Amino acid sequence: MRRVVGAVPLSRRGLLRAGGLGAAAAALAGTPACSVPTGSTGRQMTLWYWTSGLSDKVVGEARRKFTAVDLRPVQIGGYFRSKLLTNMAGRAYVPDITGLKGEDMASYHANADQFMDLRALGADALADRYLPWKWRECITSQGRMIGFPIDVGPTAHYYRPDVFERAGLPTEPDDVAAQMSSWDTYFAAGRRLRKKVPGASMILGMTDVFQYAIGQSTERFVDKDKHFIGDGEHVRHAWDLAVRAKRMGITSHLRPGSPDQTAALAKGRLPSQLNPSWWSADLKLSAPGSKGKWRVARMPGGPANYGGSFLAITKYCRKPEQAFEIITWLLDADNQTRGFTDAGLFPSTPASYTHKAMRAPDPFFGGQVTVDVFGPAAEKIPVAYNSPYDVAVSQPIRDEIVNINDLGKDPDDAWRDAMSKVRRIADHLGVS
Amino acid sequence: MRPTPRTKGSRRNGLALHLILITGMVLSLFPFYWTLVMATNTTGDIFRYPPKLTIGSHFGDNVSKVFDSIDFPGSMLNTFVVAVSVTVLVLFFDSLAAFTFAKFDFPGRRALFVVLMGIFMVPTQLQAIPQFVIMARLGWIGSLTALIVPAAANAFGIFWMRQYMMGAIHDELLDAARLDGCGFFRQYWHVALPVVRPGLAFLGIYTFIASWNDYMWPLIALVNPHNLTLQVALSQLNGVHSTDYSMVMAGALLAMIPLLVVFVLAARHFIADLAKGAVRG
Amino acid sequence: MDTTSTAAGAPRGRRAHLPRLTRQAPTGPGAVRPDGLRRAPADHWPKYLAISPFYLLFLAFGLIPVVFSLYLAFHRWDGIGGMEYAGLSQFRYLLTDSQFWNSISVTVQIWAMATVPTLFLAMVTAVLMNSAVRFKGFYRVAYFVPSVTSIVAIAIVFGSIFSTEFGLTNAALRAVGLDTVPWLNSPWGIKTAIAALMTWQWVGYNAIIYLAGLQTIPSELYEAARVDGAGPVQSFFRITVPMMRPVILFTLVVSTVTGLQSFSESQVLLASTSNTSNAGGPDNAGQTMVLYFYQQTFDNNDFGYGAAMAWGIFLVVALFAIINWRLVQRRER
Repeated sequence: MRRVVGAVPLSRRGLLRAGGLGAAAAALAGTPACSVPTGSTGRQMTLWYWTSGLSDKVVGEARRKFTAVDLRPVQIGGYFRSKLLTNMAGRAYVPDITGLKGEDMASYHANADQFMDLRALGADALADRYLPWKWRECITSQGRMIGFPIDVGPTAHYYRPDVFERAGLPTEPDDVAAQMSSWDTYFAAGRRLRKKVPGASMILGMTDVFQYAIGQSTERFVDKDKHFIGDGEHVRHAWDLAVRAKRMGITSHLRPGSPDQTAALAKGRLPSQLNPSWWSADLKLSAPGSKGKWRVARMPGGPANYGGSFLAITKYCRKPEQAFEIITWLLDADNQTRGFTDAGLFPSTPASYTHKAMRAPDPFFGGQVTVDVFGPAAEKIPVAYNSPYDVAVSQPIRDEIVNINDLGKDPDDAWRDAMSKVRRIADHLGVS
Repeated sequence: MRPTPRTKGSRRNGLALHLILITGMVLSLFPFYWTLVMATNTTGDIFRYPPKLTIGSHFGDNVSKVFDSIDFPGSMLNTFVVAVSVTVLVLFFDSLAAFTFAKFDFPGRRALFVVLMGIFMVPTQLQAIPQFVIMARLGWIGSLTALIVPAAANAFGIFWMRQYMMGAIHDELLDAARLDGCGFFRQYWHVALPVVRPGLAFLGIYTFIASWNDYMWPLIALVNPHNLTLQVALSQLNGVHSTDYSMVMAGALLAMIPLLVVFVLAARHFIADLAKGAVRG
Repeated sequence: MDTTSTAAGAPRGRRAHLPRLTRQAPTGPGAVRPDGLRRAPADHWPKYLAISPFYLLFLAFGLIPVVFSLYLAFHRWDGIGGMEYAGLSQFRYLLTDSQFWNSISVTVQIWAMATVPTLFLAMVTAVLMNSAVRFKGFYRVAYFVPSVTSIVAIAIVFGSIFSTEFGLTNAALRAVGLDTVPWLNSPWGIKTAIAALMTWQWVGYNAIIYLAGLQTIPSELYEAARVDGAGPVQSFFRITVPMMRPVILFTLVVSTVTGLQSFSESQVLLASTSNTSNAGGPDNAGQTMVLYFYQQTFDNNDFGYGAAMAWGIFLVVALFAIINWRLVQRRER
């Protein structure tokens, strides 16, 4: 028994055989991929997205409209990017058309060859109909266009006037925006809320503060030349803001996206949330019982962008022209308008902004015309360069933020730990 | 520690004993009841404080939402197909190999058995990535084949059946069969198999349950969202609709039921065999 | 691969009763039929045929993958593009990866937090059941049921029981006037919740095994002890524990092998959202070795690093297996 630790025999012959197998394995890995993946069939065209990633009504209409193909929309649960890349690695059941999350977009540039170049399909002719900065995010450094803009993620301050009233805070959107125009005044209001309404937290967690404060700047973590800038002034500032919120005791301990957060939202224990436009769809799903009790106001400290996604055509798609026709129809100005009214997806097509439907009062927000808040925010989004390495490099920083928030870790220790981990990862990835 | 019926306080002791055992049993069964409570109420009820502890009337709604969200019957059928195929294949291949190891000698037997034992120790993670790559080349990723074929025989079953057969099949039986002109496979089929039926039943139930509940490999290998097993579909349901909690709970309950039924029907023999195997070793 | 689903692996998700490996060596006395070796190997073809399915499957889905994973560990590969030779850098990175070391300690902590109460409660339950005259069969089924229940479903249910906002544990704490605990958002809370889940699932299973062991102890031993004036506690430690030593060791070995490879509990309990992967909660407190492996491999698509990490996990498991092995061997002498 003891001689056979594992299954690789440790004799000389065994090693030789293992070497041969290694060569065979190498050959296996190097075999060029067959261009048709397992599971693709004739007329079928699969479309992957996530809950509220597109207007379900518009998708349903597309199914009826494009009869040359059998459009099969699927909502994918769990970590979306991981599922898509796993299927690409397995070369099986890769969707013909897929959503790409805005947060992940930069990282897909590394696998640009997995997607059709939309410029080759004639995308350039449509460029002037979309927000230029959003359009640029789709184009890799080699000039391939791998995605087509769905929405942008202008952020706002979602709040519950009923709870604010109990705390003696303003309730009308303009008054809320005026009183909480900066992070400082927002935090002060948070302290007041905590005092007057026991159990309620102004901020879900330090992560929100950090993330949106970064979003309010024009830099991220890695610059165009692959240099690490995650220790710069803009990150330090966002970090300090988040730490201040924690020290003031106005952050909750709830895990983002957990049923706990849902329950707290439904119960009014999280009466204020900083989030992008698309989050309104999540809110409507999570807390249907709080219909009419929410409002949106301008974001403290100025607008930021978070998320906002794309549609892409994968290289496995057998009818790229047809797929291109479908995505450009799904994402034209009229349908983007419906994306907003159905799923809170703020259009990346400026022509939508003047559309009458955009100004329809939203009963979930007590009849408020929310585009009055998101529209101006969208115009003033600070544009930043997103590096493919941002996510990996910033992960330790965001992890340490959570450690401070949930575990009360000393912020100075946390910063030191974050920086040392980031350096390691940066080295591993070749970021200097 | 043995029952001591002769002492005076034994009646009271007996009562206390059953009380403790019943408490443990309640703890053991409570999560099932709690699942039922959550699956039959609304999400709003679940979020209430103090919590609602009684069964509600929304089970039908929740179940119909589950059926709208995931292909529940399809996933159930897939799980069933995989579990049955794996069980049948494992029973056949493992018992055949076990029979050979238990009752025959042939060159290389010892070495081959040592290799078999060594395989016990290889962690499955070591194989996960390459298996994924190999299956991708074979075009099996996303299909049930990826779950069935690699599971069709395993070291554990062979080892266990071998132990069982060494005790259960008497050499005289095989000798008699051979005198009657039975070859190797007929000895296996006509002599060995009928004798070891209880052992097969245990291995079968065991394999079926394990296969039904398998999670990590199906999670990796079943990349086609239209073709999942129950466990993966359930985790999808939890991922996509985590906000509709009562519906997720209804899904969890539905996923538990079939196996519980199978188990309770087979429980008596299964538990006895398992315990016997462990003690006798 | 939690369970029996690979040709090569022992069933790990289920606590199979791993038969004792030492007592009967491959050539156990009287087990082998005397015919055979005199004949040429070719005459043995039915026997080779009979054992071939396992070995073929093992070759295809066990051995080749193992060799391939070694090859992979020397490369950088995202599973999609081309491979790039990386020498020993993945292993160097692994050795200095504090998150990997953390995942080892998390795994061991959760394993200990689950195994000690599980085996203790199982023993208590078994002793009680052994004393009970009636309802034995009924108890056995009721206690055993958790171990055959789908881990995904049960993790979802435990997620609700340990919820901060609406969980039963916190409701109970509130009812008696205590502060609530953010279970799934604090390191010890996460570990406690996972350990509680595992304990709940495996007490009954181990109790049944202990019960069978108890029933093999001859009652004369207890009679003799009573005559010598030993009380129940004394006879428990003087008779029951020594007699049960092999069975206890067996359950320990099984729970080590399964505990070191725990994955599903954390994977479901601390489920990822649509734009983040599951890193095991704050401070990676619930990130077991296998969960970290899964995250790096299939969430971050770092197949090369994942392969190197699989070897790291293999070494850890092998180390514990050797420790277990020593324990078992000492018993044999």
